[in-house]
Amino acid sequence: MRVGVLGIGKTPHKIQHNKSLRDLIVEAGRTAISDAGVSPSDIQMLYVGNVGSVGFNYENSTGLMAAHHLGVVPAGAVRVEAACGTGAWALHLGVVAIASGLYDTVMVVGAEKMNDLATVEGTSVIAQAADSKEEYFSGLTFPSGVALTARKYMQTYGLTEEDLAHTSVKNHHYGARNPYAHLRFECTVEEVMRSAKVADPLKLYEVCPMTDAGSALVLCREEILKDQPDKPQVYITATAMASGTWYAVSDGLEDAHKLFAEPAAKAYAMAGVSAGDIDVAEIYNSFAIQEPLGIEGLGFAEQGKGWEGAADGSTWIDGKVAVNLSGGLLCKGHPLGATGSSQAVDIIEQLRGTAPEGIQRKDAAIGISACRGGPGAVGAIHIYQREG
Amino acid sequence: MTVSAIEFSRLGPPKLRLYAMRCGSCNTLQPWWEKFHCYACGAERLTEEELAGTGELTNYTVVYYPPRDFLGQEPYVVGHITMDEGVVLPAPVVDTALEDVQLGTRVKATLRRMKLGHEGDVYYSQKFVLDTPGAEA
Ligand SMILES: [Zn+2]
Repeated sequence: MRVGVLGIGKTPHKIQHNKSLRDLIVEAGRTAISDAGVSPSDIQMLYVGNVGSVGFNYENSTGLMAAHHLGVVPAGAVRVEAACGTGAWALHLGVVAIASGLYDTVMVVGAEKMNDLATVEGTSVIAQAADSKEEYFSGLTFPSGVALTARKYMQTYGLTEEDLAHTSVKNHHYGARNPYAHLRFECTVEEVMRSAKVADPLKLYEVCPMTDAGSALVLCREEILKDQPDKPQVYITATAMASGTWYAVSDGLEDAHKLFAEPAAKAYAMAGVSAGDIDVAEIYNSFAIQEPLGIEGLGFAEQGKGWEGAADGSTWIDGKVAVNLSGGLLCKGHPLGATGSSQAVDIIEQLRGTAPEGIQRKDAAIGISACRGGPGAVGAIHIYQREG
Repeated sequence: MTVSAIEFSRLGPPKLRLYAMRCGSCNTLQPWWEKFHCYACGAERLTEEELAGTGELTNYTVVYYPPRDFLGQEPYVVGHITMDEGVVLPAPVVDTALEDVQLGTRVKATLRRMKLGHEGDVYYSQKFVLDTPGAEA
């Protein structure tokens, strides 16, 4: 399977009080359309990833609103939702649409406008990405649910909070160099340890901020991109989706591992590559602990050792595989529905060689993105390859 | 969480009791919300079983940024309690100093006000306190 990436676009990731949800969608979408060199009327299908417009913005039917304001009517348009895996799911549907042969050119947009609500309200909206009627009835939140995973990981492998803090140090090193990132400062292990407690053992620098952003891709049949050799030749060569545990209480480390390991195995087979071939990876890390879990799930390290790369350099820019050169969600922020599409855009920039100075991996040719959602409920893998 | 009176009537009463679901096929005891099929074997025959109310704290965290319904309770301990019958349940642990909570702490269930909804709706459910010999819940 090969699907051409004709165009990409994204907005800055930050608090943007001057922009509405539709402003973010149109800004990211128009950038991708213009980068693709097409016009809105060329788009045959629109997939809009958005998690919480009903809760965050008191509006619904986001896909239809986006179709109007992007000017792609009468193309089919739909909103896609799968918790924090939403943007990756929208991308999956776009890739499948092209791969099916039914469409020549489709568009994927992910967007979330989170900062129209106070943090306490936003936290309540986010908590609905788990079972808010039952499990999360008892005062759990997403940070606290993941904190339980972090404690289990530390207990199982005999690790300290300092060991895990290296992940934030690495992400902040690159986030500081990414003009599109929400948090742009470097930090040390000591500063991570001293940052405010959010949900023991997670501290503020191990938690992503609430971010307003949009990102978009225009996808096309392989031949359409091949026929334009002066355009960057980046193709999506694998897409694999999985579901997993819907309850934190029954989400063991083995479940967290399988959530990525199983779809990753399918994706590697689909693309005909192995973990050792990957140059750059964007791995979901709304909380720092999810990065080592993802590194292990993708097969870059053994279970219990995924945290080491941030400490020994092997997941830094010149390491064996460069992980989260964007700064990850920890620095970029986590605009829920835009996160999966933003990971894709960042990997494609790496393969095009157009990533910002200081975060461009030299000669990156093969990339992977891994997005997750819910307590342990969505695993989404995409592989990208540059030709020539 | 804003709910209508009719939804409150469904959500509220089951949370006043402490029970779990027993699979009639593989015998696995699982949380009360597994009412459609057994998460271990898939069998659809599940029966409610009351729990004695004692267990051990096997994982926990301290929440410093609560959702709105829990405002005013922070910082609070919430964790996984492995009941003596074997099922793991999520619940807050209250009436204790944060430093007195650790993995392996013995706890027992007590019916408490869990949280306040938007419109003054009050939710009661099971919280846990330290199970110190001789102490009252
Ligand atoms: Zn069973």
